[in-house]
Amino acid sequence: MENVSFIKVAGIDGVEVEHAIIDRGNGEFTSMTKATYDTLLSNSSIPQAGE
Amino acid sequence: MTVLRHPNNNGVTLSQWRKTAAGGETSLSGTDDFSAALAYTAGAEQVFVNGVLLERGVDYTASTGTTVTGLTALVAGDIVTVSSPSAFNVANAIPKSTVTTKGDLLAATGASTVTNLPVGADGTTLVANSASATGMAWAGPSVAAGKNYLINGAMDNWQRGASFSATGYGPDRWYCTVGGSAATFAQETSVIPAGSRYALKWTAGAASSYGQIRQFIEQAAVIPLRGQTMTASAMVQLGSSYSGTLQFEIYYSTTTDTITSFSGTAVSITTTTGTPTIGSYNKITATFTVPSNAVGLYIGIVPSVVQASGVSAYIGNVQLEQGSVATAFSRAGGTLQGELAACQRYYIRYGGNTSYDIVSFGAGNNTQLVTAQQSFPVQMRIPPIIAEYSNLIISDSVNATITVSTVASDTAVTSTKIFRGNFYTAATTVVPYRPYTINTVSSSGYLGLSAEL
Repeated sequence: MENVSFIKVAGIDGVEVEHAIIDRGNGEFTSMTKATYDTLLSNSSIPQAGE
Repeated sequence: MTVLRHPNNNGVTLSQWRKTAAGGETSLSGTDDFSAALAYTAGAEQVFVNGVLLERGVDYTASTGTTVTGLTALVAGDIVTVSSPSAFNVANAIPKSTVTTKGDLLAATGASTVTNLPVGADGTTLVANSASATGMAWAGPSVAAGKNYLINGAMDNWQRGASFSATGYGPDRWYCTVGGSAATFAQETSVIPAGSRYALKWTAGAASSYGQIRQFIEQAAVIPLRGQTMTASAMVQLGSSYSGTLQFEIYYSTTTDTITSFSGTAVSITTTTGTPTIGSYNKITATFTVPSNAVGLYIGIVPSVVQASGVSAYIGNVQLEQGSVATAFSRAGGTLQGELAACQRYYIRYGGNTSYDIVSFGAGNNTQLVTAQQSFPVQMRIPPIIAEYSNLIISDSVNATITVSTVASDTAVTSTKIFRGNFYTAATTVVPYRPYTINTVSSSGYLGLSAEL
């Protein structure tokens, strides 16, 4: 089961950017900016064929 | 006078014998007005008097090859002409049977000596070769880096792992989609196309399920191909009980080349060849024209119908090239190393090799954070926007290691050449300003950075 948390990370310029941390539940994690995460979440997947 | 109309020693010459009559002659022989002796091929000669063609066997008799008889007496001043082709020299003709099958060529083994040069294997090229009896030989197929617009077409690189059960990137550059309720994608090492090391195998994990693979091509490569005829090819094999077929699916977008916002339109495929077969590899091809407004393009290989649970398909040596002919497979990068570098433009994974692979270098920022950075072996397509990680530790090489809980990239460093990341830990034992390495804690530890489409 995936578990998503959000953290704010200060960059080298001192500006904080919100990140999404996705816990895959099997010891594997994925992180990306929250903006990227929201984009991935909102877009539907590519066309499905074969049916 | 003799006129050589076709001065070919192996062909036909047309001779002409012409003489002005003295008057009263009913036969012709000997030399003409130009000192040429009368000689003709009986049955093929033509006799003219003042330009009027006479009828053989009625107006004259010609059977000896050197005389013409039976003429109506000529009148003084009549111009009589005997024209005759030489016999066709069949002795030097090349028998049709010299060639025996489609693609055979005629080749010389020496002066005036011809033999059959059998057709070469698909994808080979005819080259000069002095060691061969014909001076020529079929060579290759040659490998040409850059011919193949698809990266990792031979499924050589599996940086993310060797087996996948969720929709996402599988083998490098290949986006795998689980159709229906369950499917797995795995590195295949035994059922592979000739000349390959690996193939991709997908297996339906439930009824009415299937796998699909697609490779998205970035716009920097797509835009120059607008209007070009392209041919996709792949080696495919169907598992037992497979239903329907396995086919190319090609879509393009006029706005983007990335998966997340790809709203595509099907590209019209003009020609397909090859039939996927259960139990053996066959090459399938699809030829199409890249739309003039294409920005993004993907090449997919998809089943035509859903499959029963446990049904598999195997795919390897996928290629996309210019032109309407599918030629022999080449890696986009030319070599294994070149292909890996091409893959790492989109995704790179550090670690995964030994228990304590070092994946990055940095220093303590606060008691729970190490900021570390490392250069990429090849410049990435864009600054990587996704980090994948597992089983990472922070080490100062002296004290006990500290488990990494979270990795977040520093978005202020928008570099395609270097990564700067923040490695957090739940512990509070990081010492600020102390140099640290970020290591894997087991062979399953890794840090992956994605600049994929």
